[in-house]
Amino acid sequence: MARQRRHWPIHLVLIAACFVMLVPFYWVLKTSVSGENIFSYPPSIIPRDPHLFYYVDVWYAIPFARYFLNSVVVSVLTIIANVVLNAMAGYSLTQAFAGKQIVLMLFLSCMMIPFQATIIPAYLITGKLGLLDSYLGLALPMFSTIICIFVFKASFDAVPRSLLDAARVDGLSEWLIIWKVMMPLAKAAVATNVILSFIWSWNNFMWPLIATRSQDMQTLPLGLARFISYQEDTTGALYAFCIMVLAPGILLFLLAQKEFVQGLTTGATKG
Amino acid sequence: MSLEEDLARPRWKRWLFNRFVLVPGGIGIIAIVWNAWVFTHNHGTVAGRVVDAKGAPVEGAEVKLWVFNFTTFVEQASTQTKADGSFEFASNPSHNIQLSAEKAGVGRSRIPVRLYFQSEDISLKRPLQLSAAETGK
Amino acid sequence: MSVTAMDSSVARSRFTERRSTRKAVLIWSFLAPSLVIFLLYRILPLAWNVLLSFEAWSPLKPAVFIGFDNYREMFQDDDVFWQALWNTLGIIASAPLGIAIALGLALLVNSNIRGRDVYRTLIFLSYPLMTVAVAIIWRWMFDERVGLINYVARSLHLTDQPIPFLNSFTWALPCVIAANIWQMLGFYMIIILTGLQTIPGNLYEAAEIDGANSFRRFLRITLPLLRPSLFLCFVIGMLNSVTSFDLIYVMTNGGPGHATEILVTYIYKLAFNQTRFDYAAAITVVFFLLLLAVTWGANRLSGGNVGAVEYD
Repeated sequence: MARQRRHWPIHLVLIAACFVMLVPFYWVLKTSVSGENIFSYPPSIIPRDPHLFYYVDVWYAIPFARYFLNSVVVSVLTIIANVVLNAMAGYSLTQAFAGKQIVLMLFLSCMMIPFQATIIPAYLITGKLGLLDSYLGLALPMFSTIICIFVFKASFDAVPRSLLDAARVDGLSEWLIIWKVMMPLAKAAVATNVILSFIWSWNNFMWPLIATRSQDMQTLPLGLARFISYQEDTTGALYAFCIMVLAPGILLFLLAQKEFVQGLTTGATKG
Repeated sequence: MSLEEDLARPRWKRWLFNRFVLVPGGIGIIAIVWNAWVFTHNHGTVAGRVVDAKGAPVEGAEVKLWVFNFTTFVEQASTQTKADGSFEFASNPSHNIQLSAEKAGVGRSRIPVRLYFQSEDISLKRPLQLSAAETGK
Repeated sequence: MSVTAMDSSVARSRFTERRSTRKAVLIWSFLAPSLVIFLLYRILPLAWNVLLSFEAWSPLKPAVFIGFDNYREMFQDDDVFWQALWNTLGIIASAPLGIAIALGLALLVNSNIRGRDVYRTLIFLSYPLMTVAVAIIWRWMFDERVGLINYVARSLHLTDQPIPFLNSFTWALPCVIAANIWQMLGFYMIIILTGLQTIPGNLYEAAEIDGANSFRRFLRITLPLLRPSLFLCFVIGMLNSVTSFDLIYVMTNGGPGHATEILVTYIYKLAFNQTRFDYAAAITVVFFLLLLAVTWGANRLSGGNVGAVEYD
C-alpha cells in the first residue's frame, strides 16, 4: 500500500507526458476521419460522422503507390549498400595495414561534416555524374555511413582472433571470411545498420527535394510536402495522407521496437 | 518472444511464424482480397430510385450524374427514371459524385455520393426525394 | 583449437611476404567504395564550397575570382543572413530546455514502476517518425482557426482572440522550437536513460547512509556522472535541430518574413530558388564553421570526448 501511494504522482506525470506526446497524433487522426467541415468551431474532440473518404480522395489525388514504391526502392538500395560497404570498411579497419591512421582520421573528420553543409556541391556533383532524378542518385550520398562503419568495427573486434586464423588456414578468402564468419556473429551491428539507414533514407527530405525533378521520382516525404502546396489546409485529405505516410513507420517501429531503440542509441553513442 | 528463445521449433517455422513475416503477410493478404473485390465490382453502375415528397415513385424525372473535377462537379451523364422511379447509370468513372433529380411540377433534389473506389458499383439505399422547396434555388 | 592456432602461426610466417601485399590490396579494395562515397559527398563538396565562396559563379557563367566579396556582402549588407544566424543560435540555445525536460522524464521512467516500458515507448515514438509529417501535425495543432492549442487557450480564456501562431512574428519561432523539442524529447530521454543505468547503485546507498537527501544525491551523484550523456544529447540535438530543414520548410518555410529562417533554409532558397550558388556556398562555409565551433565547445565543456569514437 505504501508503495502504491509513493508511485501515483510518478504515474500521473508520466501519463501527462505520454498524453502530450500522443495528442498531436490523435488530433490529426481525428481530422482525417471526421465528417464535419474541418473549419467548424469549436472543433469536436471525438470525430463526428466518421468516414474514410478522405483516404479515398488521397489515393486518387496523388500517385501514392508510386511515391511509396520510390521510397521503398531508395530505402532498399540504401540499406543493402550500407550493410555491404560498411561491413567491408569495418572489417578492413580491424586489420593492420599501412595508412590506417590516415583513413581513421579521414573518417573521423568526415563525421563532422553534416550533409546539409554539402548540398550545393553534392547537387552539382550528382548532376555531373548524370544521376539527378534517378534512384541511384537519390540513394548514393547515403550509401555508406561512418557511424555504422565504426559499429561494425567494434562488433568485428569482439570476434576472437583464433576464429579468424582458423578460417584463413581453412583457405577462406577475406571476402568469404566477412560473409561466412564475421557477419553471423555481428547480427546486432547489422540490425543497427539496417535501422539507421532505413530511418535516414525513408525520412530524408532535403536531398530528394533537391535531386528530383519529375513527379515520377518523388518519394513519400516529398509528395507530402508537395501535397500541402496545392491542397493547403482546406481538406481533411492532407491529414489522411499524413496518416498514410506515418502508418508504415509506426508499424515498423512497434514491430521492431527493441532493435530501434538499441540501434538508435548505439548509433548515437558511437557517433 | 525473441527468435532465440524457442530453438526447439524447426528452422522453417521460426523463419515463417514470427511477427516480421506475419504482420506484413496479413497486410498483404488484406490488400489482395481488397483488390480482388475492387476488380469484380468496378463496372461503374449507379442505381437508385426517385420519389416525391410523399414517397411515391416518380416516373420520367431527369436524373443527372455529376463528377467531381478539381474544384467543381461537372455533368457526366443524364437519364430518365422508369415507371417505378428507378434509374441506373452504366459507366461512372469517379469516386466522388453527386446525383441530381428534377421533374417539373414535382421538385428537385441533389445528393452527394462518396464511393470507396473509382467506379464502385452502388445501388442507393435511400431514394432521392424530390421536394418543391428546392425548386426556387 | 590450439593445434590449429599453431598451424596458422607457422603458415602465417611462411607466407607473410606474399600475403601482406595481397592483403593490403584487398583491404584497400574493401575500403575503396566507402572512401569514394565520402570523398565524393563529404570532402570534395567541402572543398568546392570553400572555392565557390570566393568566386562569382552561376551554372551558365564562367567563374571569376572575387576574393571576400561574398563574405563582405553577407556580414555587412545581408539582414536576412543575420536574422537566420540569430534564429539558428536561438534553436541551439533551446536544446538545453528539451534536455532538462527529458532528464526529468528519464529519472521518473528509471524509477522502479510498473509499465515503464510502455511509457518509454510512447515518449520515444515521435523520434523515428518522418519530420515532414511531424511538421504537418504541428502546423495543424497551431492552426489559427481550429488548431487544438488555440482551442484550449480559448476554452480556458487565456486569450479572446485566436492567435495566428505560425503567422506571427513573435510566436512563429517558439512554435517551431516547441515542435522540434517534441520530436527530440524521446531521443534525449533514451540517451539519458542509458547513462543513468551505468551509474552504480551503491553510490546512492552510500550517500543515503551519509544522510544526503534525494535532491542532494541528484545534485552530487546523478548530475556529474550524467554529464557525458547530457552533452552527447546536446551535440546531437543541436546538430539535429540546426539542420532540421524539413520542419521549418513545411511548417513556415522561413516565414512570416524571415522570422523563422535558419541558415539551412536560407542556403537552400539562395541556391535553388535564386540560383545564387556562390553566395549560398559562402554562407555554407560560415554555417559549417559555426557547427564546428559549437561542437568543439560542447566537447570541451563535457570534459571529454563526446561523440568521438575510441580507436586503437
